Amino acid sequence: MLYITFEKRLRTSFYTRTGYNLLSIFIALVIGGILLAVVNTNPFQAYGDIVNEVFLTSYGWEDLLIKISPLLLTGVAVALAANMRIWNIGAEGQLYIGALAATGVALNYGNSASSAVLIPVMIVLAMVAGALWAFIPAVLKAYYNVNEIITTLLMNYIAISLVDFFIFGPWRDPKGLNFPITEEFAMAAELPTFGESPVHIGVLFGMVLIVIIYFVLKKTNIGVQITITGDNPDAGLYSGINIKRLIIIILMVSGAIAGLAGMVEVTGFQHRLRQNISLGYGFTGVIIAWLARNHPIGILFYTFFMATVFVGGELMQINYGLPKAMIDLFQGMILFCVLGLEIFGEYKLKIKRV
Amino acid sequence: MDGFGIEFVILTFIASVKMGTPLLFATMGGVINERAGVINLGIEGLMLVGALTAFVVKLNYDSTLLAIIAAAIASAMVSLIHALVCITMRANQIASGLALGFFATGLSGLFGNSYVGKSIISMGIVKIPILSSIPIFGRALFQQDLLVYFSFFCVAVIWYVLFYTRTGLNLRSTGEAPEVSDSLGLSVTKYRYAAVWVGGLLIGIGGAYFPLVLTSFWVDNLTAGRGWIAVALVIFAFWHPGKALLGAYLFGAALALQLRLQLIGVKVSPYFLEMFPYILTIVVLTLATVRYNIKGVSQMPAALGVSFVRGEKH
Repeated sequence: MLYITFEKRLRTSFYTRTGYNLLSIFIALVIGGILLAVVNTNPFQAYGDIVNEVFLTSYGWEDLLIKISPLLLTGVAVALAANMRIWNIGAEGQLYIGALAATGVALNYGNSASSAVLIPVMIVLAMVAGALWAFIPAVLKAYYNVNEIITTLLMNYIAISLVDFFIFGPWRDPKGLNFPITEEFAMAAELPTFGESPVHIGVLFGMVLIVIIYFVLKKTNIGVQITITGDNPDAGLYSGINIKRLIIIILMVSGAIAGLAGMVEVTGFQHRLRQNISLGYGFTGVIIAWLARNHPIGILFYTFFMATVFVGGELMQINYGLPKAMIDLFQGMILFCVLGLEIFGEYKLKIKRV
Repeated sequence: MDGFGIEFVILTFIASVKMGTPLLFATMGGVINERAGVINLGIEGLMLVGALTAFVVKLNYDSTLLAIIAAAIASAMVSLIHALVCITMRANQIASGLALGFFATGLSGLFGNSYVGKSIISMGIVKIPILSSIPIFGRALFQQDLLVYFSFFCVAVIWYVLFYTRTGLNLRSTGEAPEVSDSLGLSVTKYRYAAVWVGGLLIGIGGAYFPLVLTSFWVDNLTAGRGWIAVALVIFAFWHPGKALLGAYLFGAALALQLRLQLIGVKVSPYFLEMFPYILTIVVLTLATVRYNIKGVSQMPAALGVSFVRGEKH
């Protein structure tokens, strides 16, 4: 009798994994195409539109870069913590808190200080705010081993309610026709853009951070400690690494980076604080980190891909009247397909004869 | 402030039960999933699938019963993708749950797009004789819609099955020690699939409660994050259906108070009330974990989140 078994691979090569990821994305696009057909949209035309109107136009690339700016940062934030097997599902909330901190500076000092002072102050405060937001789950995890997946997740909702409090209350723009938005930031409190385009320098922040973090992980003492503890927590413990301290540091830095994403989004693109400044960028960061296996080049590549999903989704809203939900749908399908095929990367199929 | 009479208390109780009921169904679904060792972070998305299905069926066929059944089955079917990915394909349950959340939310938004702006007639109240005349609690618990009574029934059944039957014991053992279940000849895979499916049914009914009772219309993201509260409530309830009922009503009360306090003009920011359930859950989770650290006893299923592979050590 023949039967099929799975045999665990000792290592999964980068190429095997990338191959399966690309195959997964392809399958997700096929299934997505079928769903598009179900709702009476020609999938070839829809995908063709994305190529023509996003990849082949300058405003398409501008949109991509604008979406890449926060996504790269949330992807890096989640991946950094994931290096130590810590799930930061709270990047969404940290993003909102970072945006809140930056907005506080912009509204209060936007007209009285110069850009050269405001922007660094906003960056620092947004990062501090994001770090502090992550501090609570970090301490609970480090000292009491409270599950950080749940605590970081719940902190998201608290953060969003806090932002709501400010934009429905003290910070609401009196000239905003009763909409829950703050007034527009002063020019000095906006991130500089590249020439006439709406693309802002925030897109560089993530790229710089990827390089810094890669360097820190590979070349510094603390980076080695993180890698060891992530690979094998017991080995970390027995080699005398202060794991409690490390957990707190890594989650706070992760929160800081996610907070920076919020600052980048409000000062670079939105120019005011409002509801839904993030279309789930924090959660997309989790997907990016997962697909990239925390690898820096992978993060860049999959961020670009996810940005395409967002811009493409918005295009389908305009061209075909499809709902915003398309974006969630595609993200879910991509992650499902990647997860479903992962087994073939981790295991080898063996046909045995008994 | 004459709003604070006995009538205010009673009306708040009634609203708490109403707001708590979808949470209760979803939490029970989560309890069943997690008792078998499968975390489901996609509850929010599944509730939306249930909500949309119930709305569409009720709109087209005008049958509440059919709407509830369809909602349950639709949600259970979608949840099978999660089962396939994390049980058969052994993928990470957290990631798969997030994928499920994204996917199911997107699905409901895509197919619900053309139903925005329509409305259905919501479920009526059925008074239970005698019981409904108990002071205060009578009106809150026994003067409600049929789904509320059905939720009581589910609590009792799940409680009984989980803790007093062989099936329940087997299910719990697949969540505690799958290798032991396996060595006794039980199929861990079958039990886990069944748990995800049945959990999906209940979560779908929780979603159906929104259009059928609470709103009577469909909008994108109708369940507004309640599914995530249910994820937290599963822990809050220590994986127990009885405590799930208490937890769901407590959180229902927090949600109900937001509206009711505003209604009578109390100056508490609704945004801080909104935070309360989440803060409460973090506190409870911390206390429970600390207790575990001291006493070494945990109600958490030991193999929660661990995929089972026969013959492989973890």
